[in-house]
Parts: sequence; structure tokens; C-alpha cells
Amino acid sequence: MADTHLDPNVLSALQEVMEDEYPELLDTFIRDSEERLKLLQNYADAMQLRDAAHSFKGSSSNMGAIRLAELCHELEQRANQKSLAGIEKLVGEIDGEFAIVRPLYEAEKQRSLSE
Amino acid sequence: MQSLEPLTILIAEDSAADRMLLSSIVRRQGHNVLTAANGAEAVETFRQQQPHLVLMDAMMPVMDGFEAARQIKLLAGETLVPIIFLTSLTESEALARCLEAGGDDFLAKPYNPVILAAKIKAMDRLRRLQATVLQQRDLIGRHHDYLLNEQRVAKAVFDKVAHSGCLNAPNIRYLQSPYALFNGDLLLAAFTPAGDMHVLLGDFTGHGLPAAVGAMPLAEVFYGMTAKGYGLSETLREMNAKLKRILPVDMFCCATLLCLSFQRRSVEVWNGGMPDGYLHSIATGERKPLTARHLPLGVLSPQTFNDRTEVFPMAVGDRVFLLSDGVIDTCDGNEQLFGVDRLQQVFAANRQPDALFGEIKQALRNFGGEARDDVSMVEVSLLEATQLTPPALVYSDSGQSCPLDWSVNFEFRAETLKRFNPLPYLLQLLLEVHGLRAQSGSLYSVLAELYSNALEHGVLGLDSSLKRDASGFARYYQLRNERLEGLQDGFVRVHLQVTPEGKGGCLVVRVEDSGKGFDVARVLERPLDGVRLSGRGVSLVRQLGRNASWSDEGRCARVEFSWEALA
Amino acid sequence: MSVNAEVSQDGKKLTISIKGRFDFAKHQEFRESYERHNGGKMPNSVVVDLKEATYLDSSALGMLLLLRDHAGGDNSDIRVVNSNSDVRKILAISNFDKLFNVT
Repeated sequence: MADTHLDPNVLSALQEVMEDEYPELLDTFIRDSEERLKLLQNYADAMQLRDAAHSFKGSSSNMGAIRLAELCHELEQRANQKSLAGIEKLVGEIDGEFAIVRPLYEAEKQRSLSE
Repeated sequence: MQSLEPLTILIAEDSAADRMLLSSIVRRQGHNVLTAANGAEAVETFRQQQPHLVLMDAMMPVMDGFEAARQIKLLAGETLVPIIFLTSLTESEALARCLEAGGDDFLAKPYNPVILAAKIKAMDRLRRLQATVLQQRDLIGRHHDYLLNEQRVAKAVFDKVAHSGCLNAPNIRYLQSPYALFNGDLLLAAFTPAGDMHVLLGDFTGHGLPAAVGAMPLAEVFYGMTAKGYGLSETLREMNAKLKRILPVDMFCCATLLCLSFQRRSVEVWNGGMPDGYLHSIATGERKPLTARHLPLGVLSPQTFNDRTEVFPMAVGDRVFLLSDGVIDTCDGNEQLFGVDRLQQVFAANRQPDALFGEIKQALRNFGGEARDDVSMVEVSLLEATQLTPPALVYSDSGQSCPLDWSVNFEFRAETLKRFNPLPYLLQLLLEVHGLRAQSGSLYSVLAELYSNALEHGVLGLDSSLKRDASGFARYYQLRNERLEGLQDGFVRVHLQVTPEGKGGCLVVRVEDSGKGFDVARVLERPLDGVRLSGRGVSLVRQLGRNASWSDEGRCARVEFSWEALA
Repeated sequence: MSVNAEVSQDGKKLTISIKGRFDFAKHQEFRESYERHNGGKMPNSVVVDLKEATYLDSSALGMLLLLRDHAGGDNSDIRVVNSNSDVRKILAISNFDKLFNVT
């Protein structure tokens, strides 16, 4: 499992593309992710869980949250195989990982605003 | 990197952050962006705005990307709207799903702007290519319609030229396949004033308009000269000269020409470049091939053109069968040709001569008839002269002024006899006399008979008893050509005299030759014989004209035609 | 190239070889093969080598006529060599062996 919580290269590439909208992007991702986490915690069936994990994986990787993306990938696989025993632990890990990267994104947002 | 013209790109992605990111990337690359948060929105936006290209997330709520892609492709119709799937799917099955749903490419997450730009550019190239293809297809379609219309018009003109023909005569059966609106094949038939029938089966190089353009002048010469009473050789010379003059060097017309004489029971043949025709003798069952001995029409200059024909005897019921190379070249699914051997097999299996035509058609169909060329076949039978009614000649004058009391003398000497046929001129002259017009057929037949007797038996000294069988026939005509070519002396004199008689009039025809004459008494004693191939000329003259007589030991023939007052 | 043209050392003989189907598709190439030599001047004799020609149709016959016309018409000396039996048959039916020396 990779150590990277947030890939700085991805962030700088994002900033270059988004320019003035960079802070807004970070905000959007954070809000988006909160919604997704709720979905992961209150899933209806295995398929829904799989799709939600898949989606979260996608945006996390776009935003450079590498470890978060990998955890989502693992969740996606397990949900696809319908081996849901002890799945709450994995969800918990995802929750925890997000708790780590979220302040990093906030800090990044502040930094970019003050440039 | 070359700059692209700005496209309108639809981004369908349910994740807000991803949507935002992608929009910025795409906008930054110079394009206009439309967004949708699910499949249904994507389809609706597409329907209203018609973007050039779609970036589609595979997993979306309400309607997923696959279904949305299917619907968008349907809406797009013939136009190519590239759809690039956005996916973090890595399983090959899932990727296959993208393509199946109509996706043209996919972009993996995390998004790489460089790769995205390259894919957009590539997809746009494809999009433009499709647009060009459709444009050209429509252009070609329009041109094709113009061409078809031009051909339709040209065909209408052509049909008018060909209308004076007699392809519907009871002794002719024919088939022409409608491969092109115009066939490169030409089939003409017409009666001579004597009641003989000229038939031409021709095949111009090429198809369609170029072929038809050459066909018209050819048809005019054929019909014009046949109607005036010119023989095959003269007609061939004229047709060849005309085509040589007007066609480009690389265009020519393969052709077989026939002159069927019901009275003389013979067929005269000239074949330039066509496949073998066949002369079917009912009595023996033999099918004699009529092989091409000449170059096609329009190749040789008038000086080098060879108008030599071959003559064969025919009995009532015998047929001549001609075909274009389209029959031989008909292909089956394996590119095998129908070929001459298969045709021979159909011949061999045929029991009822009347059914042959149909049997060949059936054999071609069974063979797997994808016609590679034009297929034309014609079968001409020799019927009793009485079974055919040549159409009446049409005269263009008012009928008011007409020479009724005159005479003329001609003397045709060796050099003229070699290269000139006076009969059409003599006939034209005589047809100025209105009273004679109703008998033009008989008139021409008798004149032709007397002239040919005077020339062949008189001047050239040929013995008509040679013509008692097929090989004798060939020998006779061979000798005729040889002696004519070597002719130094001799003459044929024609005297015509028209005098009024009561309300009508009388024509006296006298033909003299410089030959040795014949035993008139003996020939006149013979019963009028309808079957023998030779010696029928005298009977003919006696039947068609009035008061036929021979004098000067057979060297001078005299016959009369008379008419009553015209109504 | 499916149409190949070669001039002899002394410039007096032109040999044109046809490979594959001798039909309308070869029209341009064939013309160029004899129009472009010697600054457009025709050599005294021309040989058309059909050893590798598989098929001949009426447009090929037309092309031969064009060549003949270009080479002096009745005064031309054109030989058509190495024809296979199918090609030979076509040349025979059309009686083109009366215009060209066919072997």
C-alpha cells in the first residue's frame, strides 16, 4: 500500500489547469466526498456499494489522493465479489484516510488563495 | 501541435469535482463545453444542442453511460459523433462494453490532459472524415442521377432511330439483358425492298453513353441503305468508313451481319470480331460455326477494309444463332466462365429447335448468372417467303408529278461491274413512277435476279448447278469473287422503258449480258421447282413479272410490269 | 509497376511489358509508356510483351490501336509476343492478328 496521501505533482497540475477555479475545485471535491462517504456507510446492497466505491475511486485518483483511491479500489473489488463480511472495517479505513487528506486539501486551498 | 477548430464538447459525468476538472481541461484546450450530470441529461442536451463530441462517464445514475451512448448514437444517425468513455474500469470485459455501446475510445482516470487533447484531436479527424465521406457520397449520388437522366434521354433518341427496324418479325427471336441502361450491344433488323432481311448484331467497345453514341450513325446507315436495296458489302463499307471517321482511334464495333434471302434460300454472313455464330441445319442437325474472319468495324481505313462475305444455303426451318461475348463471359460465383463448351453442351442436348433459345437462357440462369457483360442473343429462322410481310415503303413526295413516258439505257462494263451495284439507283429511278410503287418488292427482286444472272452466269460464266449443296455453294461464291476481281472485259446492259397504257402504264425491263447464253428452251421446260437451291431465278422472274422472255440465246432477258389507274 | 517500358541500346526498339490484367485500369500507364520516350518520338519497332499478362479485354484492344496509330498506323511495326492461350484466342477472334504480328 502506497504511502502517499496527496500527490503534490497532481495538485500542481490541477492548479495549472484550473487556474482561478482551483480553490473551487478543491471545495467541490471535499463536499462531493462527504456525500460519497455517507453512501458508503449506508449502502443498500452490494452492487450499490461497488458502484459508489468505484465512483469515489475515480475522483480521488483525479485529485491525487492516492491511498484513498487504492482503498476505494479494494472496497470495490470486495463488494463486487460480494464478500461483505467485515466490510465496515474497510469503510472505516476509508473514512479515516479521508479525515487525513481533508485538512491537507483545506491547507492547499488556503495556500492557493493567498498567492 | 496544430490548433484544432473549437468544437462543442458534451461532458457527462456525475461526480461534480471530476466534471469541473474535465470542463476546465477541455475549455483550456479551446473548446466550448456543455455538461450533464447523468445519462438522461446527456441525451437531452445532445438532442437540443448537437455537440460535436461527447465525453461520457460509464457509471452514472438515472441512466448509465452505456445506455446514453446507445441513444446518442441513434440520434446522430449517419453523422459520426465520437463518444469517449471516461472510466476507471480496468477489466477488459468492461472496456469491451464501452465499445459495444458505441464508444469510439476511452480515457482512464486520473485524467491526463495531454492524452485527452490527443484523443479529442484524433476523434475530430475521424469525425471530419465521416463528414467528407457523406458529402462525397451525396455528390456522387447526384452526379449518378444526372448521368442516368442523360442516358435516358439519349436512349429515347436512339429508340427513334431504331424504330424502323423489324425485330418483331415472326422469324426473329432475341434477348438483350438490361445490364446498363444502354447496352453496348446493338441489334438491328430490316427488310430490303426485295423482301430479304438484313440483321446486325454489334458490340461497341465500352458501355453506356460512349457505346450508344457510335450506335446511332451506324443504325442510320444500316436502315437507310437496307431500305434502298443495297447489299451487305456496300452497307458494310459505308458503316466501316463512317465509324472510322467519327470514332476515336481506340473505339470500334465488333459486328456480325446477315442477309437472309427467303427467295434464294441462302444466308450471307460477315463477322468482324464477334464470337462464333451458328447456322443450324434442321435436316442434318449440324451446327456450322460462323467464325469471325474480319477485324471489327471502324478499325481499317476504307482502302484496306475487307467486305468479303460468305454465303451458305438454308432450308425452310433452318436457323442462324448469334450471340455477344456477354453470354460466353457470364460468370458464376467462382469466377468461372460459362464458356463455349457449355454452350455446345446445350446445343447437343437440345431436341426441339424452337426450345433452344429458352434452354440457353435457362442454362445461363442455372450457371449462376451474374452477367459480367451485356448478354445479347438473336435467332433468325428461314420461313416461307409468304409467311412474312415486309412493311410498305413510305414515300415522301406529294404524288402529283411523275414521269410516265420515258426510257433509259445503261451499259455497265468490267471496271464498274467489279465495284458498283447499280440496283439501288435503278430502283430509286423506277420508284419515281407512282404506279410501280405498290410492286416495289417484286420489281426489286426481279431486277436483282436478272442482274445477278447476267453478271454471274453471263459475264462471269459461273454454272449455277454448282450450288446444289453446301460445299458447292462455298465454291461458287469463291469462284465468283475470283472471277470478278480478275474481270477485264464484258458488260451488262440494262434498258428501262415506261409508257402509258390506258389509265395506267407499263414498264419493260431488258437485261443483256456479254456472256455465252444458255439453253433457254430446256430451262423453261423445267417445272417451277420450289425446293432446289439452284436454277430458281428463272421461275422467280416468270412468277413476279409479266411476259418474261429470253432471246439472243439466253443473253437477253425481257420482262414487263404494268399497273392500272391509281385510285 | 504493372506496365514497364524499355528502349534498346540503339534506341530503335521499344519493349513494353504488361503484368496482370490488361484492361482499362492500365490506360494511363500504357499511354505514358510510349509517349514519354525519345522526347515523344517513336522508335522504329515496338514489342508488346504479354508474358505476364493474365487477361485482355476490348479496352486493351483499343489501347493497342492507339499505340499503332501513334507508331505510324499502316506503316507501323508492332509485335505482340508471348501471349498465353486465352489472350491468343481473344486476339484471334477479333482478328487483331491481321494488324499486329502476334506470337
